Amino acid sequence: MSMIHTTDLTKRFKDLTAVDNLDLTIEKGEIFGLLGPNGAGKTTTVLMLTTVIKPSSGTAVVGGYDVRENPNDVRKLIGICFQEPKILWVSTPLDVLNWHAKVCGLSTQERKRRVKQVLEDVNMWDDRGKKVHDLSGGMKKRVEIAKVLIQRPRIAFIDEPTAQIDVVGKHKIWNMIRELRDEGSTIILATNELYEADVLSDRVGIMHKGKMLVCDTPKTLKDSIPGGDIVEIQLEKDVSKKILKDLTSFQEVVDLTVLTPNNIKVYLNKVEEIVPQIMELLVKKGVPVRSINMTEPSLDDVFIHYTGLTIEEAEQKSPSR
Amino acid sequence: MLVVERDLRTFLRFKVLIIMRSIWFAAQVAFFGLIASRMVVPQLADIYFEYYVAGVVVMMLYSASVFIGYDIFEEAEHGVFEYLLSLPVSRRELVLGRSIGGGIRSFMLVGPLIAITLLVFGLANPLNFLIALSALFLFAFGVSGMSITIAVTLKSGDRFDIFMGALNALIVRLSTAMYPQAFVQQASLTYAEISRFNPVTFASDMFRWGTGIEKYLTVTPMPLAAILGLVLFFFAFTVVGVTFYEKRLEGGGWQ
Repeated sequence: MSMIHTTDLTKRFKDLTAVDNLDLTIEKGEIFGLLGPNGAGKTTTVLMLTTVIKPSSGTAVVGGYDVRENPNDVRKLIGICFQEPKILWVSTPLDVLNWHAKVCGLSTQERKRRVKQVLEDVNMWDDRGKKVHDLSGGMKKRVEIAKVLIQRPRIAFIDEPTAQIDVVGKHKIWNMIRELRDEGSTIILATNELYEADVLSDRVGIMHKGKMLVCDTPKTLKDSIPGGDIVEIQLEKDVSKKILKDLTSFQEVVDLTVLTPNNIKVYLNKVEEIVPQIMELLVKKGVPVRSINMTEPSLDDVFIHYTGLTIEEAEQKSPSR
Repeated sequence: MLVVERDLRTFLRFKVLIIMRSIWFAAQVAFFGLIASRMVVPQLADIYFEYYVAGVVVMMLYSASVFIGYDIFEEAEHGVFEYLLSLPVSRRELVLGRSIGGGIRSFMLVGPLIAITLLVFGLANPLNFLIALSALFLFAFGVSGMSITIAVTLKSGDRFDIFMGALNALIVRLSTAMYPQAFVQQASLTYAEISRFNPVTFASDMFRWGTGIEKYLTVTPMPLAAILGLVLFFFAFTVVGVTFYEKRLEGGGWQ
Protein backbone atom coordinates (compact mmCIF):
# COMPACT_ATOMS: atom_id res chain seq x y z
CA MET A 1 0.00 0.00 0.00
CA SER A 2 1.52 3.32 -1.04
CA MET A 3 1.70 6.11 1.52
CA ILE A 4 3.07 8.74 -0.84
CA HIS A 5 2.62 8.98 -4.56
CA THR A 6 3.83 11.87 -6.68
CA THR A 7 2.92 12.58 -10.26
CA ASP A 8 5.05 14.96 -12.33
CA LEU A 9 5.78 16.90 -9.17
CA THR A 10 7.65 20.05 -10.15
CA LYS A 11 8.85 23.15 -8.36
CA ARG A 12 10.35 26.11 -10.14
CA PHE A 13 11.98 29.13 -8.51
CA LYS A 14 12.18 31.73 -11.30
CA ASP A 15 14.62 30.20 -13.82
CA LEU A 16 15.65 27.28 -11.64
CA THR A 17 13.75 24.01 -11.71
CA ALA A 18 14.46 22.65 -8.23
CA VAL A 19 12.31 19.52 -8.69
CA ASP A 20 11.63 18.31 -12.20
CA ASN A 21 8.63 16.06 -12.96
CA LEU A 22 9.19 13.75 -10.01
CA ASP A 23 7.29 10.45 -10.08
CA LEU A 24 7.72 8.55 -6.88
CA THR A 25 5.90 5.96 -4.78
CA ILE A 26 6.73 5.32 -1.14
CA GLU A 27 5.22 2.29 0.55
CA LYS A 28 3.63 2.21 3.98
CA GLY A 29 6.03 1.37 6.81
CA GLU A 30 9.27 1.75 4.88
CA ILE A 31 12.25 3.98 5.45
CA PHE A 32 12.76 5.67 2.11
CA GLY A 33 16.12 7.34 1.65
CA LEU A 34 16.05 10.39 -0.57
CA LEU A 35 19.68 10.65 -1.48
CA GLY A 36 21.52 13.35 -3.34
CA PRO A 37 23.98 16.19 -3.00
CA ASN A 38 22.96 19.57 -1.59
CA GLY A 39 20.90 21.31 -4.25
CA ALA A 40 19.59 18.05 -5.73
CA GLY A 41 15.99 18.96 -4.82
CA LYS A 42 15.52 16.75 -1.76
CA THR A 43 14.50 19.49 0.66
CA THR A 44 12.23 21.14 -1.91
CA THR A 45 10.54 17.76 -2.44
CA VAL A 46 10.07 17.37 1.31
CA LEU A 47 8.66 20.90 1.59
CA MET A 48 6.12 20.18 -1.16
CA LEU A 49 5.10 16.85 0.38
CA THR A 50 4.62 18.53 3.75
CA THR A 51 2.50 21.33 2.18
CA VAL A 52 4.93 24.02 3.28
CA ILE A 53 5.28 25.09 -0.34
CA LYS A 54 2.98 24.48 -3.28
CA PRO A 55 4.15 22.60 -6.36
CA SER A 56 4.51 24.66 -9.56
CA SER A 57 2.93 21.75 -11.44
CA GLY A 58 2.07 18.12 -10.86
CA THR A 59 0.87 16.90 -7.51
CA ALA A 60 1.37 14.43 -4.70
CA VAL A 61 -0.95 12.28 -2.64
CA VAL A 62 0.25 11.90 0.94
CA GLY A 63 -1.57 9.44 3.20
CA GLY A 64 -4.48 9.44 0.76
CA TYR A 65 -4.79 13.23 0.59
CA ASP A 66 -3.77 15.49 -2.28
CA VAL A 67 -1.27 18.15 -1.14
CA ARG A 68 -2.95 20.76 -3.33
CA GLU A 69 -6.57 20.02 -2.48
CA ASN A 70 -6.41 18.81 1.13
CA PRO A 71 -3.29 20.35 2.70
CA ASN A 72 -4.90 20.55 6.14
CA ASP A 73 -5.58 16.79 6.12
CA VAL A 74 -2.02 16.08 4.98
CA ARG A 75 -0.61 18.13 7.84
CA LYS A 76 -2.52 16.04 10.37
CA LEU A 77 -0.58 12.95 9.26
CA ILE A 78 2.93 14.28 8.99
CA GLY A 79 5.81 15.31 11.18
CA ILE A 80 8.97 16.95 9.95
CA CYS A 81 12.51 17.28 11.19
CA PHE A 82 14.01 20.13 9.17
CA GLN A 83 17.55 20.19 7.84
CA GLU A 84 18.26 23.39 9.76
CA PRO A 85 16.67 23.43 13.23
CA LYS A 86 13.65 25.74 13.14
CA ILE A 87 13.68 27.11 16.64
CA LEU A 88 13.46 30.68 17.88
CA TRP A 89 16.63 31.64 19.77
CA VAL A 90 14.79 32.87 22.88
CA SER A 91 12.97 29.53 23.40
CA THR A 92 14.18 26.60 25.49
CA PRO A 93 14.17 22.95 24.31
CA LEU A 94 11.49 22.10 26.88
CA ASP A 95 9.22 24.93 25.72
CA VAL A 96 9.72 24.07 22.05
CA LEU A 97 8.91 20.39 22.52
CA ASN A 98 6.03 20.94 24.94
CA TRP A 99 4.33 23.31 22.56
CA HIS A 100 4.97 21.06 19.59
CA ALA A 101 3.44 18.10 21.44
CA LYS A 102 0.40 20.20 22.36
CA VAL A 103 -0.15 21.33 18.77
CA CYS A 104 0.12 17.72 17.63
CA GLY A 105 -2.72 16.83 19.99
CA LEU A 106 -0.97 14.77 22.68
CA SER A 107 -2.77 14.57 26.03
CA THR A 108 -1.11 16.32 28.97
CA GLN A 109 0.01 13.08 30.60
CA GLU A 110 1.30 11.54 27.38
CA ARG A 111 2.99 14.79 26.40
CA LYS A 112 4.90 15.04 29.68
CA ARG A 113 5.93 11.40 29.49
CA ARG A 114 7.11 11.53 25.88
CA VAL A 115 8.88 14.88 26.17
CA LYS A 116 10.90 13.65 29.17
CA GLN A 117 11.61 10.30 27.56
CA VAL A 118 12.78 11.70 24.25
CA LEU A 119 14.81 14.52 25.82
CA GLU A 120 16.61 11.86 27.85
CA ASP A 121 17.06 9.66 24.78
CA VAL A 122 18.69 12.46 22.80
CA ASN A 123 20.79 13.51 25.81
CA MET A 124 19.11 16.88 26.15
CA TRP A 125 17.28 16.51 29.46
CA ASP A 126 19.96 18.32 31.46
CA ASP A 127 19.95 21.19 28.96
CA ARG A 128 16.17 21.43 28.64
CA GLY A 129 16.00 24.87 30.27
CA LYS A 130 18.83 26.49 28.31
CA LYS A 131 18.01 29.10 25.69
CA VAL A 132 18.37 27.82 22.13
CA HIS A 133 20.83 30.66 21.58
CA ASP A 134 23.23 28.95 24.00
CA LEU A 135 23.01 25.49 22.40
CA SER A 136 25.56 24.06 19.98
CA GLY A 137 24.57 23.13 16.42
CA GLY A 138 24.41 19.45 17.34
CA MET A 139 22.20 20.15 20.36
CA LYS A 140 19.79 22.20 18.25
CA LYS A 141 19.61 19.37 15.75
CA ARG A 142 18.76 16.93 18.55
CA VAL A 143 15.91 19.19 19.64
CA GLU A 144 14.73 19.31 16.03
CA ILE A 145 14.64 15.54 15.67
CA ALA A 146 13.08 15.19 19.12
CA LYS A 147 9.97 16.92 17.71
CA VAL A 148 9.31 14.01 15.35
CA LEU A 149 10.22 11.38 17.94
CA ILE A 150 7.72 12.87 20.40
CA GLN A 151 5.02 13.32 17.79
CA ARG A 152 5.33 9.81 16.28
CA PRO A 153 3.48 10.82 13.12
CA ARG A 154 2.14 8.38 10.56
CA ILE A 155 4.52 9.88 8.02
CA ALA A 156 7.79 11.34 9.23
CA PHE A 157 10.00 13.50 7.03
CA ILE A 158 13.51 13.63 8.38
CA ASP A 159 15.94 15.93 6.59
CA GLU A 160 19.62 15.30 7.34
CA PRO A 161 18.89 13.71 10.75
CA THR A 162 22.44 13.47 12.00
CA ALA A 163 24.06 16.59 10.53
CA GLN A 164 26.42 18.07 13.14
CA ILE A 165 25.84 15.13 15.50
CA ASP A 166 28.73 13.08 16.89
CA VAL A 167 29.26 9.40 15.98
CA VAL A 168 27.69 7.98 19.17
CA GLY A 169 24.73 10.30 18.81
CA LYS A 170 24.32 9.27 15.17
CA HIS A 171 23.93 5.61 16.01
CA LYS A 172 21.48 6.43 18.78
CA ILE A 173 19.36 8.53 16.43
CA TRP A 174 19.48 5.86 13.72
CA ASN A 175 18.14 3.35 16.23
CA MET A 176 15.37 5.75 17.23
CA ILE A 177 14.43 6.22 13.57
CA ARG A 178 14.27 2.43 13.15
CA GLU A 179 12.07 2.17 16.27
CA LEU A 180 9.78 4.83 14.83
CA ARG A 181 9.45 2.76 11.66
CA ASP A 182 8.87 -0.42 13.69
CA GLU A 183 6.00 1.33 15.49
CA GLY A 184 4.30 1.88 12.14
CA SER A 185 5.53 5.20 10.80
CA THR A 186 6.56 5.64 7.20
CA ILE A 187 9.81 7.54 7.10
CA ILE A 188 11.23 9.71 4.36
CA LEU A 189 14.87 10.31 5.06
CA ALA A 190 16.49 13.06 3.01
CA THR A 191 20.24 12.88 3.28
CA ASN A 192 23.49 13.46 1.46
CA GLU A 193 25.27 10.98 3.73
CA LEU A 194 25.55 7.87 1.61
CA TYR A 195 26.43 5.57 4.48
CA GLU A 196 23.46 6.81 6.49
CA ALA A 197 21.11 6.15 3.59
CA ASP A 198 22.63 2.70 3.12
CA VAL A 199 22.31 1.51 6.71
CA LEU A 200 18.88 3.00 7.38
CA SER A 201 16.86 2.81 4.19
CA ASP A 202 14.67 -0.01 2.94
CA ARG A 203 14.73 1.72 -0.44
CA VAL A 204 16.78 4.58 -1.79
CA GLY A 205 15.96 7.14 -4.46
CA ILE A 206 18.91 9.05 -5.88
CA MET A 207 18.16 12.63 -6.91
CA HIS A 208 20.36 14.83 -9.02
CA LYS A 209 19.53 18.23 -10.49
CA GLY A 210 15.88 17.91 -9.46
CA LYS A 211 15.37 14.55 -11.15
CA MET A 212 15.02 11.08 -9.70
CA LEU A 213 17.78 9.08 -11.37
CA VAL A 214 17.11 5.67 -9.90
CA CYS A 215 15.11 4.13 -7.09
CA ASP A 216 15.42 0.69 -5.48
CA THR A 217 16.77 -1.19 -2.46
CA PRO A 218 20.38 -0.33 -1.58
CA LYS A 219 21.40 -3.91 -2.44
CA THR A 220 19.75 -3.88 -5.87
CA LEU A 221 21.29 -0.50 -6.62
CA LYS A 222 24.74 -1.75 -5.66
CA ASP A 223 24.23 -4.93 -7.68
CA SER A 224 23.22 -2.81 -10.64
CA ILE A 225 26.78 -1.54 -11.04
CA PRO A 226 28.54 -3.84 -13.51
CA GLY A 227 31.53 -5.37 -11.69
CA GLY A 228 30.74 -3.49 -8.54
CA ASP A 229 31.97 -6.22 -6.19
CA ILE A 230 35.71 -6.67 -5.94
CA VAL A 231 37.32 -9.92 -4.79
CA GLU A 232 41.06 -10.14 -4.27
CA ILE A 233 42.30 -13.75 -4.16
CA GLN A 234 45.77 -14.76 -3.04
CA LEU A 235 46.70 -18.31 -4.09
CA GLU A 236 49.26 -20.77 -2.75
CA LYS A 237 50.76 -21.14 -6.25
CA ASP A 238 50.79 -19.23 -9.49
CA VAL A 239 47.59 -19.05 -11.43
CA SER A 240 47.42 -20.67 -14.86
CA LYS A 241 45.86 -19.22 -18.04
CA LYS A 242 43.32 -22.05 -17.95
CA ILE A 243 42.07 -21.01 -14.51
CA LEU A 244 41.89 -17.40 -15.59
CA LYS A 245 39.80 -18.47 -18.56
CA ASP A 246 37.51 -20.55 -16.29
CA LEU A 247 37.06 -17.60 -13.97
CA THR A 248 36.10 -15.23 -16.77
CA SER A 249 33.57 -17.78 -18.00
CA PHE A 250 31.30 -16.91 -15.04
CA GLN A 251 28.57 -14.65 -16.31
CA GLU A 252 28.82 -12.41 -13.21
CA VAL A 253 32.56 -11.81 -13.62
CA VAL A 254 33.04 -8.55 -15.44
CA ASP A 255 36.79 -8.12 -15.35
CA LEU A 256 39.90 -9.75 -13.96
CA THR A 257 43.38 -8.41 -13.20
CA VAL A 258 46.48 -10.44 -12.35
CA LEU A 259 48.30 -8.39 -9.72
CA THR A 260 51.15 -10.86 -9.17
CA PRO A 261 51.46 -14.43 -10.51
CA ASN A 262 49.59 -15.75 -7.43
CA ASN A 263 47.39 -12.74 -6.72
CA ILE A 264 44.31 -11.85 -8.78
CA LYS A 265 41.62 -9.19 -8.53
CA VAL A 266 38.15 -10.11 -9.85
CA TYR A 267 35.46 -7.51 -10.60
CA LEU A 268 32.05 -9.16 -10.43
CA ASN A 269 28.42 -8.96 -9.40
CA LYS A 270 26.41 -10.91 -6.81
CA VAL A 271 29.52 -11.65 -4.80
CA GLU A 272 27.75 -13.80 -2.21
CA GLU A 273 26.55 -16.23 -4.91
CA ILE A 274 29.68 -16.39 -7.05
CA VAL A 275 32.49 -16.56 -4.50
CA PRO A 276 31.52 -20.07 -3.27
CA GLN A 277 31.51 -21.25 -6.90
CA ILE A 278 34.95 -19.70 -7.51
CA MET A 279 36.30 -21.36 -4.37
CA GLU A 280 34.90 -24.69 -5.48
CA LEU A 281 36.51 -24.29 -8.92
CA LEU A 282 39.92 -23.43 -7.46
CA VAL A 283 39.83 -26.37 -5.03
CA LYS A 284 38.74 -28.71 -7.84
CA LYS A 285 41.67 -27.48 -9.99
CA GLY A 286 44.09 -28.08 -7.12
CA VAL A 287 44.92 -24.44 -6.48
CA PRO A 288 44.65 -23.81 -2.72
CA VAL A 289 43.56 -20.36 -1.64
CA ARG A 290 45.77 -18.52 0.89
CA SER A 291 43.44 -15.58 1.49
CA ILE A 292 40.40 -13.89 0.05
CA ASN A 293 39.31 -10.29 0.47
CA MET A 294 35.93 -8.99 -0.65
CA THR A 295 34.89 -5.38 -1.14
CA GLU A 296 31.24 -4.49 -1.78
CA PRO A 297 30.33 -1.35 -3.69
CA SER A 298 28.87 1.47 -1.65
CA LEU A 299 26.16 3.92 -2.53
CA ASP A 300 29.01 6.30 -3.40
CA ASP A 301 29.81 3.94 -6.25
CA VAL A 302 26.14 3.83 -7.22
CA PHE A 303 26.02 7.63 -7.29
CA ILE A 304 29.18 7.81 -9.38
CA HIS A 305 27.81 5.16 -11.73
CA TYR A 306 24.58 7.06 -12.40
CA THR A 307 25.89 10.64 -12.43
CA GLY A 308 29.52 10.29 -13.45
CA LEU A 309 30.36 12.46 -10.43
CA THR A 310 31.21 11.92 -6.79
CA ILE A 311 28.66 13.43 -4.40
CA GLU A 312 31.21 16.14 -3.51
CA GLU A 313 31.71 17.04 -7.18
CA ALA A 314 27.95 17.08 -7.70
CA GLU A 315 27.53 19.46 -4.75
CA GLN A 316 30.10 21.83 -6.20
CA LYS A 317 28.28 21.86 -9.53
CA SER A 318 24.76 22.16 -8.09
CA PRO A 319 22.91 25.42 -8.75
CA SER A 320 21.95 27.53 -5.76
CA ARG A 321 18.50 29.00 -5.43
CA MET B 1 -5.43 29.07 21.17
CA LEU B 2 -2.10 27.25 21.04
CA VAL B 3 -0.85 29.71 18.44
CA VAL B 4 -1.88 32.55 20.76
CA GLU B 5 -0.15 30.81 23.69
CA ARG B 6 3.04 30.48 21.71
CA ASP B 7 3.10 34.16 20.81
CA LEU B 8 2.50 35.18 24.41
CA ARG B 9 5.23 32.89 25.74
CA THR B 10 7.67 34.20 23.16
CA PHE B 11 6.78 37.78 23.97
CA LEU B 12 7.39 37.29 27.71
CA ARG B 13 10.90 36.14 26.92
CA PHE B 14 11.73 39.59 25.52
CA LYS B 15 12.00 41.11 29.00
CA VAL B 16 14.37 43.88 27.92
CA LEU B 17 11.90 45.02 25.29
CA ILE B 18 9.07 45.16 27.83
CA ILE B 19 11.23 47.21 30.21
CA MET B 20 12.33 49.56 27.40
CA ARG B 21 8.76 50.17 26.29
CA SER B 22 7.68 50.92 29.85
CA ILE B 23 10.55 53.39 30.23
CA TRP B 24 9.52 55.02 26.94
CA PHE B 25 5.97 55.46 28.25
CA ALA B 26 7.16 56.89 31.57
CA ALA B 27 9.51 59.32 29.79
CA GLN B 28 6.81 60.44 27.34
CA VAL B 29 4.41 61.17 30.19
CA ALA B 30 6.80 62.47 32.85
CA PHE B 31 8.95 64.66 30.59
CA PHE B 32 7.37 65.30 27.22
CA GLY B 33 3.75 65.40 28.40
CA LEU B 34 4.40 67.58 31.42
CA ILE B 35 6.58 70.04 29.52
CA ALA B 36 4.45 70.15 26.35
CA SER B 37 1.28 70.79 28.36
CA ARG B 38 2.93 73.92 29.74
CA MET B 39 3.01 75.28 26.18
CA VAL B 40 -0.78 75.61 26.01
CA VAL B 41 -2.75 78.31 27.82
CA PRO B 42 -2.45 77.81 31.61
CA GLN B 43 -6.18 77.06 32.06
CA LEU B 44 -5.87 74.08 29.67
CA ALA B 45 -2.50 72.76 30.83
CA ASP B 46 -3.87 69.99 33.08
CA ILE B 47 -6.60 69.12 30.59
CA TYR B 48 -4.09 68.83 27.77
CA PHE B 49 -1.81 66.71 29.96
CA GLU B 50 -4.67 64.24 30.51
CA TYR B 51 -5.45 64.34 26.80
CA TYR B 52 -1.81 63.67 26.01
CA VAL B 53 -1.49 60.74 28.43
CA ALA B 54 -4.54 59.04 26.87
CA GLY B 55 -3.01 59.61 23.44
CA VAL B 56 0.31 58.08 24.48
CA VAL B 57 -1.49 54.98 25.78
CA VAL B 58 -3.12 54.47 22.37
CA MET B 59 0.12 55.20 20.52
CA MET B 60 1.85 52.62 22.63
CA LEU B 61 -0.91 50.11 22.00
CA TYR B 62 -0.46 50.75 18.27
CA SER B 63 3.31 50.31 18.29
CA ALA B 64 3.11 47.21 20.52
CA SER B 65 0.56 45.63 18.18
CA VAL B 66 2.75 46.35 15.17
CA PHE B 67 5.52 44.33 16.80
CA ILE B 68 4.10 40.99 15.61
CA GLY B 69 5.29 41.90 12.09
CA TYR B 70 8.87 42.15 13.33
CA ASP B 71 8.43 38.74 14.98
CA ILE B 72 7.51 37.32 11.59
CA PHE B 73 10.84 38.49 10.17
CA GLU B 74 12.67 37.10 13.17
CA GLU B 75 10.93 33.77 12.53
CA ALA B 76 11.64 33.91 8.81
CA GLU B 77 15.31 34.50 9.58
CA HIS B 78 15.42 31.45 11.86
CA GLY B 79 13.28 29.38 9.49
CA VAL B 80 10.53 29.04 12.10
CA PHE B 81 7.99 30.10 9.50
CA GLU B 82 8.37 26.87 7.56
CA TYR B 83 7.94 24.95 10.79
CA LEU B 84 4.70 26.78 11.59
CA LEU B 85 3.43 26.11 8.07
CA SER B 86 4.05 22.37 8.49
CA LEU B 87 1.96 22.07 11.68
CA PRO B 88 -1.51 20.52 11.78
CA VAL B 89 -3.08 23.98 11.92
CA SER B 90 -4.95 25.61 9.06
CA ARG B 91 -3.55 28.83 7.63
CA ARG B 92 -6.70 30.57 8.79
CA GLU B 93 -6.22 29.41 12.39
CA LEU B 94 -2.58 30.34 12.21
CA VAL B 95 -3.10 33.93 11.08
CA LEU B 96 -6.07 34.46 13.41
CA GLY B 97 -4.11 33.03 16.31
CA ARG B 98 -1.17 35.28 15.55
CA SER B 99 -3.36 38.32 15.08
CA ILE B 100 -5.14 37.71 18.39
CA GLY B 101 -1.88 36.77 20.10
CA GLY B 102 -0.32 40.01 18.86
CA GLY B 103 -3.29 41.97 20.17
CA ILE B 104 -3.32 40.28 23.59
CA ARG B 105 0.38 40.71 24.16
CA SER B 106 0.19 44.38 23.31
CA PHE B 107 -2.47 44.60 26.01
CA MET B 108 -0.18 42.76 28.39
CA LEU B 109 2.30 45.55 27.81
CA VAL B 110 -0.13 48.46 27.84
CA GLY B 111 -2.60 47.03 30.40
CA PRO B 112 -0.51 47.92 33.47
CA LEU B 113 0.04 51.41 32.06
CA ILE B 114 -3.72 51.85 31.55
CA ALA B 115 -4.25 50.69 35.14
CA ILE B 116 -1.71 53.22 36.46
CA THR B 117 -3.28 55.95 34.35
CA LEU B 118 -6.73 55.19 35.73
CA LEU B 119 -5.35 55.03 39.25
CA VAL B 120 -3.94 58.54 38.86
CA PHE B 121 -6.80 60.16 36.93
CA GLY B 122 -9.73 58.05 38.17
CA LEU B 123 -12.43 56.18 36.26
CA ALA B 124 -15.70 57.96 35.49
CA ASN B 125 -17.94 55.11 34.29
CA PRO B 126 -17.04 51.38 34.50
CA LEU B 127 -19.54 50.38 31.78
CA ASN B 128 -18.15 52.94 29.34
CA PHE B 129 -14.70 51.69 30.21
CA LEU B 130 -15.61 48.08 29.37
CA ILE B 131 -17.05 49.15 26.01
CA ALA B 132 -13.92 51.19 25.30
CA LEU B 133 -11.67 48.33 26.34
CA SER B 134 -13.45 45.96 23.94
CA ALA B 135 -13.03 48.50 21.15
CA LEU B 136 -9.34 48.82 22.00
CA PHE B 137 -8.98 45.03 21.78
CA LEU B 138 -10.42 45.19 18.27
CA PHE B 139 -8.00 48.01 17.49
CA ALA B 140 -5.03 45.96 18.75
CA PHE B 141 -6.10 42.82 16.83
CA GLY B 142 -6.66 44.93 13.71
CA VAL B 143 -3.22 46.56 13.96
CA SER B 144 -1.63 43.12 14.48
CA GLY B 145 -3.49 41.84 11.42
CA MET B 146 -2.35 44.88 9.44
CA SER B 147 1.25 44.33 10.54
CA ILE B 148 1.13 40.64 9.56
CA THR B 149 -0.42 41.52 6.21
CA ILE B 150 2.27 44.11 5.44
CA ALA B 151 5.06 41.80 6.66
CA VAL B 152 4.04 38.86 4.45
CA THR B 153 3.41 41.17 1.51
CA LEU B 154 6.80 42.90 1.62
CA LYS B 155 8.79 39.80 2.69
CA SER B 156 11.79 41.98 3.49
CA GLY B 157 12.77 43.13 6.96
CA ASP B 158 14.37 46.34 5.66
CA ARG B 159 11.40 47.28 3.48
CA PHE B 160 9.03 46.48 6.35
CA ASP B 161 11.03 48.68 8.70
CA ILE B 162 10.98 51.62 6.29
CA PHE B 163 7.31 51.14 5.40
CA MET B 164 6.17 50.85 9.01
CA GLY B 165 8.24 53.89 9.94
CA ALA B 166 6.50 55.92 7.24
CA LEU B 167 3.09 54.50 8.13
CA ASN B 168 3.64 55.17 11.81
CA ALA B 169 4.57 58.77 11.04
CA LEU B 170 1.40 59.25 9.01
CA ILE B 171 -1.12 57.21 10.98
CA VAL B 172 -0.13 58.57 14.39
CA ARG B 173 0.60 62.17 13.39
CA LEU B 174 -2.53 62.46 11.26
CA SER B 175 -4.73 61.29 14.10
CA THR B 176 -6.21 62.98 17.16
CA ALA B 177 -4.00 61.00 19.55
CA MET B 178 -1.85 64.03 20.32
CA TYR B 179 -4.08 67.00 19.43
CA PRO B 180 -7.88 67.53 19.38
CA GLN B 181 -9.80 67.44 16.12
CA ALA B 182 -10.64 71.14 16.31
CA PHE B 183 -6.96 72.10 16.21
CA VAL B 184 -6.21 69.69 13.37
CA GLN B 185 -9.02 71.33 11.41
CA GLN B 186 -7.56 74.78 12.05
CA ALA B 187 -4.23 73.62 10.66
CA SER B 188 -5.60 71.96 7.52
CA LEU B 189 -8.94 70.70 6.32
CA THR B 190 -7.21 67.84 4.48
CA TYR B 191 -5.43 66.77 7.66
CA ALA B 192 -8.72 66.94 9.51
CA GLU B 193 -10.49 64.73 6.96
CA ILE B 194 -7.73 62.13 7.08
CA SER B 195 -7.60 62.16 10.86
CA ARG B 196 -11.36 61.70 11.06
CA PHE B 197 -11.10 58.25 9.39
CA ASN B 198 -7.96 57.11 11.14
CA PRO B 199 -8.07 53.99 13.40
CA VAL B 200 -5.73 55.71 15.87
CA THR B 201 -8.26 58.53 16.12
CA PHE B 202 -11.06 56.01 16.68
CA ALA B 203 -9.07 54.25 19.40
CA SER B 204 -8.05 57.52 21.08
CA ASP B 205 -11.62 58.81 21.06
CA MET B 206 -12.90 55.52 22.50
CA PHE B 207 -10.26 55.46 25.21
CA ARG B 208 -10.96 59.04 26.31
CA TRP B 209 -14.70 58.50 26.21
CA GLY B 210 -14.55 55.16 28.00
CA THR B 211 -12.22 56.22 30.76
CA GLY B 212 -13.52 59.75 31.07
CA ILE B 213 -9.91 60.84 31.56
CA GLU B 214 -10.52 64.02 29.64
CA LYS B 215 -13.95 65.49 28.98
CA TYR B 216 -13.34 68.91 27.50
CA LEU B 217 -11.31 68.51 24.34
CA THR B 218 -12.86 65.29 22.97
CA VAL B 219 -15.42 66.31 20.38
CA THR B 220 -17.82 63.38 20.19
CA PRO B 221 -19.73 62.56 23.39
CA MET B 222 -20.56 58.98 22.32
CA PRO B 223 -18.16 57.94 19.51
CA LEU B 224 -20.37 55.54 17.57
CA ALA B 225 -18.34 56.26 14.45
CA ALA B 226 -15.24 55.19 16.33
CA ILE B 227 -16.82 51.88 17.37
CA LEU B 228 -17.98 51.21 13.84
CA GLY B 229 -14.61 52.26 12.43
CA LEU B 230 -12.72 49.90 14.73
CA VAL B 231 -15.04 46.98 13.98
CA LEU B 232 -14.49 47.54 10.25
CA PHE B 233 -10.76 47.95 10.74
CA PHE B 234 -10.58 44.67 12.66
CA PHE B 235 -12.60 42.67 10.15
CA ALA B 236 -10.83 44.17 7.15
CA PHE B 237 -7.36 43.27 8.34
CA THR B 238 -8.33 39.90 9.75
CA VAL B 239 -9.86 38.85 6.42
CA VAL B 240 -7.13 40.52 4.36
CA GLY B 241 -4.50 39.08 6.67
CA VAL B 242 -5.75 35.51 6.20
CA THR B 243 -6.00 35.91 2.44
CA PHE B 244 -2.51 37.38 2.07
CA TYR B 245 -1.04 34.88 4.47
CA GLU B 246 -2.45 32.00 2.44
CA LYS B 247 -1.54 33.41 -0.95
CA ARG B 248 1.88 34.75 -0.16
CA LEU B 249 3.18 31.97 2.06
CA GLU B 250 1.54 28.77 0.92
CA GLY B 251 2.47 29.70 -2.61
CA GLY B 252 6.15 29.37 -1.94
CA GLY B 253 7.12 29.66 1.68
CA TRP B 254 9.16 32.73 2.46
CA GLN B 255 11.22 32.48 -0.73
